[in-house]
Amino acid sequence: MKYNIFKHYLITSLIIVITFSFNGFAQELDASNYKMRFNFKTVKQADNSRLLEVEFIGQNKKDRKDKIPVADAEISFYNILNEEEVLLGTAKTSYEGIAKITVPNSQKYLIDDDGLINLIAKFEGSDAIDAEEDEISIKDLILELNLEEIDSVKTVLVKAFTIDSVGVKTPVEEADVIISIQGMLSKMKLKEEYIEDGEYEFEFPNDIPGNENGEITIFSIIEDNDDFGNVFQKKTVNWGTFNKQVKEEGNKLWSEAAPMWMYIVLTILLLGVWANYAYTISYLFKIKKEGKKITENKKQEI
Amino acid sequence: MNLTRRKSELVKEFSPMLEKTSTLSKIWIWSLVAIILVGAYALFLQIYEGQSVTGMRDNVVWGIYTVNFIFFLGMGYAGAFISSVLHFIKTPWKNSVSRIVEITTVLSIVIGPVFILLCIYRLDRLHYLFMYPRIQSPITWDVIAVITDLIGCILYLYLTFIPDLAILRDSDNLKVPKWKKKMYRYLAIGYQNTDEQKEKLHKITKTMSVIVIALAIVAYTILAWVFSLTLQPGWNSTIFAPYFIVSGLYTGVAVIILVMYLIRKHLKLEKHIRKVHFIFAGVILLILSLLFGYFTFSEYFPKWFSHKASDTNLLNTLFSNYFWMFIIANYGAVLLPLIIISFKKLRTIKLITLTAVIAIFCLWLNRYLIIIPTLETPYLPIQDTRPEYVHYTATWVEWALTFTGVAAFCLLFTLLIKFVPVIPMSGIIDNETDQNKKKRRFKKTITE
Repeated sequence: MKYNIFKHYLITSLIIVITFSFNGFAQELDASNYKMRFNFKTVKQADNSRLLEVEFIGQNKKDRKDKIPVADAEISFYNILNEEEVLLGTAKTSYEGIAKITVPNSQKYLIDDDGLINLIAKFEGSDAIDAEEDEISIKDLILELNLEEIDSVKTVLVKAFTIDSVGVKTPVEEADVIISIQGMLSKMKLKEEYIEDGEYEFEFPNDIPGNENGEITIFSIIEDNDDFGNVFQKKTVNWGTFNKQVKEEGNKLWSEAAPMWMYIVLTILLLGVWANYAYTISYLFKIKKEGKKITENKKQEI
Repeated sequence: MNLTRRKSELVKEFSPMLEKTSTLSKIWIWSLVAIILVGAYALFLQIYEGQSVTGMRDNVVWGIYTVNFIFFLGMGYAGAFISSVLHFIKTPWKNSVSRIVEITTVLSIVIGPVFILLCIYRLDRLHYLFMYPRIQSPITWDVIAVITDLIGCILYLYLTFIPDLAILRDSDNLKVPKWKKKMYRYLAIGYQNTDEQKEKLHKITKTMSVIVIALAIVAYTILAWVFSLTLQPGWNSTIFAPYFIVSGLYTGVAVIILVMYLIRKHLKLEKHIRKVHFIFAGVILLILSLLFGYFTFSEYFPKWFSHKASDTNLLNTLFSNYFWMFIIANYGAVLLPLIIISFKKLRTIKLITLTAVIAIFCLWLNRYLIIIPTLETPYLPIQDTRPEYVHYTATWVEWALTFTGVAAFCLLFTLLIKFVPVIPMSGIIDNETDQNKKKRRFKKTITE
């Protein structure tokens, strides 16, 4: 029997529409094609609390640009000394593959003979992904930021030192320090210099705009240091200038009234079209009138 | 030619379509009513429980309702354009398709805007659009354009109905209910086909054709501007308006081919809707598919070449989550007409109709790809939120209301062609009169 496929193609096309799952085309992922990147870092924050952060990302072995964050993985953070392990906290990675905890300033860390705090981040592993861990050792650095006007010169004073178990301050001999200010979206770097003997002085420029109250938040940052990790300190001061924008950006489409040309064009167009409709309807009435006359004449003839 | 006799012959030929409803037609009508009832329940749920029953969320605020809105309006504007152009072409075969095109136009422009109303949660504030319009907003332009175009198309459709309504009014043998007779009498506005009336009707129909062509272009351009005047990646494009017009015309021609096929088959109008109609429409479909392909390539190629982060994100989304849909939509709509209609041997009625059906499906997907992936890739990345807020998936409520729109279109079409013949009788008479005149002129030239 010859089967006519065209007879039912309408129904077939409808079935295709219904059965298509539009998000069902996403490619399947296989973890074995990805190399896992497990990066652990620590940041000592302005309130002296410590941020512990792990970035857990899978990188395609063939296509290195293809990076996929590992989400919902439980990461445990420990402070270790020899055999002793203190759990500082656990966190699950976000959709961006980041797990972080903040350890408060009051936390007493286990410190080894060299004055190092040893921190470990661990992922226990799952059916698809192997266990991962990363370790960092840092010294607890005290970073002080003072903002003073010395002889009318706005001066940023940075002090960096460590304190040993008996309370003796040891200035940092050499470290890079960055002076930045807070911008709308990110920090803007003003200066990057070397701290020598634990101190650094910086003359703050006079022409930096602040917020509407002239306030600026200034940061001193030690970044990715082999001995201290990441440390920053910040303070807000009324050293900025506020430049009121004199000329406002003009976008006439967002103003209260539309530009005149728009009213004119729209009126001409609409009047043209609607006048034509009226003209057409008036002709329909004329046709109707003529029709009536013809019917009446026919009636009279009868 | 005896006009009165010819009119009654034509009424006799077309009267079964107006007088009787076959069992198959009844099943068809009740099936459509059943789909509409399911849609009514879906609408009740949406009004009662709110927009949360749809897949639309904070990021993807426009879903398949907007896709249908653009699709139907595109179909409508294309129909208006084609029917007006047909009015200026002096050829006998145009008469067989002109009414199909006109009805398709009006119904599409009636149903299309309903979909955009479904996107609005606070319908109680709808009148604010008219009370406090912002003349500088493309949405205000769109509201004005759609209303003006709808009225223009209804008026134009009515003008083309008048001579047939007069024929139906005057035929005593037509066995239709009294209310139908009354409607014919009322709507025929005393048209008696006199030379003066004919001239007047021809004059206003001609003017309205020009207005409708201009309106179709302006209205669909404005609809394209609703998207392209925003800065969204994928929408902010200078070629969006002509791209919309070409894809709208393409959709319109494809739908007209499908409707022609169904009417020809169901009402047995093989004598009036012939192969030549399908071949001509098929060739137009092929030209429009090539134009559509050209515009699609011109739209996406600069985005790929520019390496702008927002465009790259959009293209990454299109080529990952929507890979197959993108391939089917664009390759199907461009290559299939090229393969089928380019070869003379493949230009059969069934294959041309099949091409049209696939083109309709692909063009609907194309609109989906214009709207949804753009909303899923905003300038500020979506972070730390629930998956349904990031990826849009239409719910059964949205599908039910979509099919209700299609069912309403089919139902209204079916009911309208039960009210007036789908082939204009007055057009047949005019053609025959013209041909007789030509023959007489030819004879006179030879004998002289």
